[in-house]
Amino acid sequence: MTQPLDNLRSLAYFGPELALSGAILLVILWDLVVKQARVAGALAIAFAALAVSAGLSVQAIVSGAGSRGLFNGLIAFDGYTSLFRILIAFVTAMVLVFSKPSLEEKSAREPGEFITLLLVLTLGMNLMAASRNLLMIYLSLEMVSVISFVLAGFKLDDAKSSEAALKYVVFGGVASGIMLYGMSFLFGVSQSLNLSDIAAKTAELTAQQGKVPGAVFVGVVCMMAGFGYKISAAPFHMWTPDVYEGAPTAVTAFLSVGPKAAGFAVMMRFFSEALGAVHDARIAGTVVDAAPWAILIGCLAMATMTIGNLSALGQDNVKRMLAYSSIAHAGYMLLGFSGMSKVGVASIAFYVITYCFMNLGAFLVVMAVAEQNGGDETVGAFRGLGRRAPVLAIVMAVFLFSLTGLPPMAGFVGKFYLFSALLETGGTWSWTVAVVGVLNSVISLFYYARVLRVMFLEDAVATEPTTVRPMFQVTSLALAVPTLVLGVYWSPVYDFVVRSLATVR
Amino acid sequence: MNSIPLEYFLLVAALLFVIGAVGFLLRRNLLVLLMSIELMLNATNLTLVAYNRFRPENHAGQIFAFFVIAVAAAEAAVGLAIVLAFFRVRRTIRSDDADLLRN
Amino acid sequence: MPATVFLALAALTLVSAGIVAFSKNIIYSTLGLLGTFLGIAGLYVTLSADFLSAVQILVYVGGTLTLILFAVMLTARIDKMKVSNPSGGIVPAFVLVALLLVALGTVAAQTAWPSEARPVMPSTAKLGHAFLGEYLLPFELGSIVLLGAMIGSVVLARRAVKRSWEKG
Repeated sequence: MTQPLDNLRSLAYFGPELALSGAILLVILWDLVVKQARVAGALAIAFAALAVSAGLSVQAIVSGAGSRGLFNGLIAFDGYTSLFRILIAFVTAMVLVFSKPSLEEKSAREPGEFITLLLVLTLGMNLMAASRNLLMIYLSLEMVSVISFVLAGFKLDDAKSSEAALKYVVFGGVASGIMLYGMSFLFGVSQSLNLSDIAAKTAELTAQQGKVPGAVFVGVVCMMAGFGYKISAAPFHMWTPDVYEGAPTAVTAFLSVGPKAAGFAVMMRFFSEALGAVHDARIAGTVVDAAPWAILIGCLAMATMTIGNLSALGQDNVKRMLAYSSIAHAGYMLLGFSGMSKVGVASIAFYVITYCFMNLGAFLVVMAVAEQNGGDETVGAFRGLGRRAPVLAIVMAVFLFSLTGLPPMAGFVGKFYLFSALLETGGTWSWTVAVVGVLNSVISLFYYARVLRVMFLEDAVATEPTTVRPMFQVTSLALAVPTLVLGVYWSPVYDFVVRSLATVR
Repeated sequence: MNSIPLEYFLLVAALLFVIGAVGFLLRRNLLVLLMSIELMLNATNLTLVAYNRFRPENHAGQIFAFFVIAVAAAEAAVGLAIVLAFFRVRRTIRSDDADLLRN
Repeated sequence: MPATVFLALAALTLVSAGIVAFSKNIIYSTLGLLGTFLGIAGLYVTLSADFLSAVQILVYVGGTLTLILFAVMLTARIDKMKVSNPSGGIVPAFVLVALLLVALGTVAAQTAWPSEARPVMPSTAKLGHAFLGEYLLPFELGSIVLLGAMIGSVVLARRAVKRSWEKG
């Protein structure tokens, strides 16, 4: 990596974030000043900013711009960041589409504020993917957390929503407190907040002592509290089901994908840059260097998957079931990471892409169904959906098959890459973790299949066809098509992922 | 003030952190939970500043502590707004009563 | 002399922290928090972090603590005050905390921390330069965090107040 740029010259590479920051201010102004077309205008500004953010990032990857440190090395400009920026912009845009109908209602409260806060979240997630300094990691994580708390409680007429926000805030505060304590240990050892300085100091001490120094180990374990909270990995997953159930569904869809992707982005960068733990497995072939971290992540992965899948089995509320399923999916993704290899990083990035299509889609269907059934989100509301709204039911089946990881869906390909990345590192430990992962996939089939059975094999109480908003139909189809296509023809996307990660040192 | 070794400050911070953790685990009043989180953050800040004191090169630790204070204030504002909203709906601030979403 | 000052400040911090965490009365807890904040501010001075000490008092005592006091007054009922803070789950909590203490203690004892202190010096000017130079980006982003938090808490709290107004 070349010498980091100073503040002024960094701005040239900071376009996506500048666009988002500008849009945040513009939306606030627009909402204050303009009386006509308040929501439509604010949405247009938001979409424009997201398009700029994604467009600049695509251009950066395609043109093969090298990696640079920006703002005196606080954040990075590289293909890795650009890749996640595209993904994050896509997720935010989809969630804006989801929430458009409810924002445009007369009774909608504070639509402008909702859009503003969503843009702040997007900015925070972009920065999470780019951070290469403990201070920036903390700041961007908190930016995302604080705004997520508000969004979870946005539906305040509703006791469930405010309770969700409450649990989110309390667990979030403790998780960030523990993470900060871990960061202070790393700072104490290395006397620097910069990830590369920490890497140098850790390597030096590890060589001296023959093992990872205790303070670094405790520091990293504490930091996993913050990361684990963001990606909802055990044992910091407790908030997930409550928040996902209580928050407005559009927000839930967003929380289940956006912060999770950004959380993985920041965690993988931390492990590879600060601990030097991520190697090219094909070249090095040694797991020894990464040993404590591989075992730590492997244990987390196994616990997370198992807890998520077993708890999902007994759920009657589909939103809550999807919450546990999203915990389980965090476990699968950690699986790819527990090999600590660069292939693993690529496989997670690819899985996050497929996951974002199928999970957003599943939540969209839940939203459409609940809207038709007076807010009923239980499995019962899906009864006979195959007859009442065939398109919606088939699309939901695609998403659920994909979430299970059955071919020919995108979820299968994603899982295949995760497992192969893990097994490429070899050794008994990888095999043990992989076996637990396969067993978990089998368990997950049960609860996904339950929804399928109710949709297609059980008769509804009412048989008249359900009218679904055309926009929901179109959007869910638009999410189902990539879920199917990526299952049979994935190589361009996978190559794009590998190519964008290649610029990272 | 050079006579106080670093370990003493670390010890005070660790005790403060542990008191915050105990308060968080034992207490059921939402406001006390938020206060316990503030104790933990203060402990962290003390650790950061203490480490920073014993290395003259830079002020990174103090800068970090500054941002922690700023962000913690923002988080406290949002947290208390949420507690107030919850209280208006449920008329209680015992965390045991936050049970609508439990199985 | 320095040792006495240190001990006094540490005692103030820890005793008030204990009051925060264990007092049955929420008002005492809040006052305990004030003691902790002041004690930490004092410890910052002994660590030659004068600017942070001022920030600690301005932001924590002037801002956060006032907010908490408002929340206490808006939510607590005087008749409920005596029973509002029952404790629970003591055994698992103590096991966890004991583990935590052992881990922290081992780390603090086994690691060879750097021990040479630098001479006492004011830090405000250096911090100012850092905020407008090396750390300009987080400084600006901090303002966006505060902006978002402000909008968010206004949205949440205003609606709550409006509803009780409408009802009452």
